Amino acid sequence: MRSTAALPWTLVALTASAALALLWLAPLLWAASTALRPEHETVSAVFHWLPQTWTLDAFAKVFAAGSLPRWLFNSALVALLVTMLTMAVSITAAYAFSQMTFRGKRWLFALSMIAFMLPFESLIVPLFRLMNQLRLIDTYAGIVLPQLVSPVTIYVFKQFFDAVPGDFRDAAVMDGASPWQVLRYVYLPVSGNIVWAMSIVVFIGAWNNFLWPFIVITSSEMMTIPLGLTQTQDAFGVRYAQMMAAALLGGTPVALAYVLFQRRVTEGMLAATGLKG
Amino acid sequence: MASVRLRGIGKSFGDQEVIKGIDLDIADGEFVVLVGPSGCGKTTLLRIIAGLESPTKGEIDIDGRRSNDIAAARRGMAMVFQSYALYPHMTVAENMGFALKLAGVAKEEIAASVSRAADILQIGHLLDRRPKALSGGQRQRVAIGRAIVRRPGVFLFDEPLSNLDAALRAQTRVEIARLHKELKTTTIYVTHDQAEAMTLGEKIVVLNAGIIEQAGTPLDLYARPANRFVAGFLGSPRMNFLDAQLESIAESDTLLVSVRLTDGTLVHVAANTNRAESGTSVTLGVRPEQFTVMPRDPAPGAIAAKVAVIEHLGDSMIVYAQVEGMPDLMAVKCGADAPVPPVGSGISLAFRPTHAHLFDPHGVAFAPD
Repeated sequence: MRSTAALPWTLVALTASAALALLWLAPLLWAASTALRPEHETVSAVFHWLPQTWTLDAFAKVFAAGSLPRWLFNSALVALLVTMLTMAVSITAAYAFSQMTFRGKRWLFALSMIAFMLPFESLIVPLFRLMNQLRLIDTYAGIVLPQLVSPVTIYVFKQFFDAVPGDFRDAAVMDGASPWQVLRYVYLPVSGNIVWAMSIVVFIGAWNNFLWPFIVITSSEMMTIPLGLTQTQDAFGVRYAQMMAAALLGGTPVALAYVLFQRRVTEGMLAATGLKG
Repeated sequence: MASVRLRGIGKSFGDQEVIKGIDLDIADGEFVVLVGPSGCGKTTLLRIIAGLESPTKGEIDIDGRRSNDIAAARRGMAMVFQSYALYPHMTVAENMGFALKLAGVAKEEIAASVSRAADILQIGHLLDRRPKALSGGQRQRVAIGRAIVRRPGVFLFDEPLSNLDAALRAQTRVEIARLHKELKTTTIYVTHDQAEAMTLGEKIVVLNAGIIEQAGTPLDLYARPANRFVAGFLGSPRMNFLDAQLESIAESDTLLVSVRLTDGTLVHVAANTNRAESGTSVTLGVRPEQFTVMPRDPAPGAIAAKVAVIEHLGDSMIVYAQVEGMPDLMAVKCGADAPVPPVGSGISLAFRPTHAHLFDPHGVAFAPD
């Protein structure tokens, strides 16, 4: 039975949580409120929390401008490619580091962890030169390839594979499974939640990535949503309603992805931390 | 079915040598139990035979063929793990048929094999369940079923009963014995439980610190242990050991030797002590069921003791008695209704000379008469 003494603390915790949630929600609500009003209202001297006139005009204009669907497509393609390929690279690398024996394994793992400590900004110049030499500037491959090696993802998967009982692998080996089949039929299925969780994290990261696409993309047709938003600003001048409409449209797919897979992400995170028995 | 032959098998992990040159022959269809205390190397040896570990030295022959470099899956062996290692995301049927699926066997054939194995183990009603929906005993049967489906030449069991409760363990032990009788497949079974080893094995191999202390039939090892380790490891309660000194060979034709215990009692043991001189420190070993409890009797050969603890087991009784000068209590197994004096009473312990064992200072047994 819950003690009555705990009740005030519960109330305090609930109030604090509600206040923090509002603080987080306020910019989003403001963006929605701005996007749903006519352009002239956004620069009105009189402040109103809600639009005086409700309209979808800003959304219509953003679509009519023509580039948004293309940027959405680019973002979706890039984020999906980055997610799928990063998962493929990270899972196989993590499995090798966790379960296989080969010369130089510890050094290679240490090296991949050192890469974890290097800020991406310090790699921009060499990466740009490399992409240039490979003639991949302003291509999907140029945007995707440098994003594929994710030491954090490798580390999380390695930790998870380390915790899978070795008897599963031995049983599969006795059953005649090759290392690839052990991964495919045993380790991957038991890691379902963590795969989902990491996929969402990588997808959101790739969708929101600004810096590398900004460096490597030169044409409007290849732009992703975050880059496109800067173009919107240029094209329409300071048109806040349209800018907010574009931002909301750009953020919607990733928010939807999170909402749809929220349970799996939470389960995966719990599994990764070992909190779930 | 297959035979297995090990010659000079050794295994080191870094500087630590866990298996030290093991030679062992396992005949076609034989049920061999590898038994020993924790850390003696029995599971490592099983994994070497399975192909899950490579030996640092030595040769493994399976059916007369050198198999050191043959992959685990191609050795024709199936293993039942201590943890069962059932794949949690697969149903029982999928677990059992997984090896056949990997081998590219047709679905109908897999279903038939799984069904046959399920019939043998009476788990047909569990085929659609996942492992988490099974009890410990059911998981154990499924793990055995998974091994049966492969129709291996050799079954390998790695402490398969250690996660079961006592009643289920006894029941499963009987089922494993029945299964071996039915399938006649060569079986190598690892356990630390001497009762399991004694009841299941046609041959027992006692391992200690990476070497074979003794191998033989259960009764042979029990009756004629080669050394003090084997004598103490097999049997529950374990054999009683008493420090003593060799006095003399009393009658050369019967090889009856006289031994003086530390409390001064002179007892006789049937043993061939030709390699020892009188005055040598020895250890006398007497199994709990070989002692007879008598009222305190000053007769020669009777060991004076005092009742310390009595354990009633229902069908029998264990009397723990203190012998003067001995650090350990002597265990004596009696019938449930044996007339044993109460705790604190003086008693005498007697045994027949042919029912005792004598060990030299290195723990090696003097051959019995």
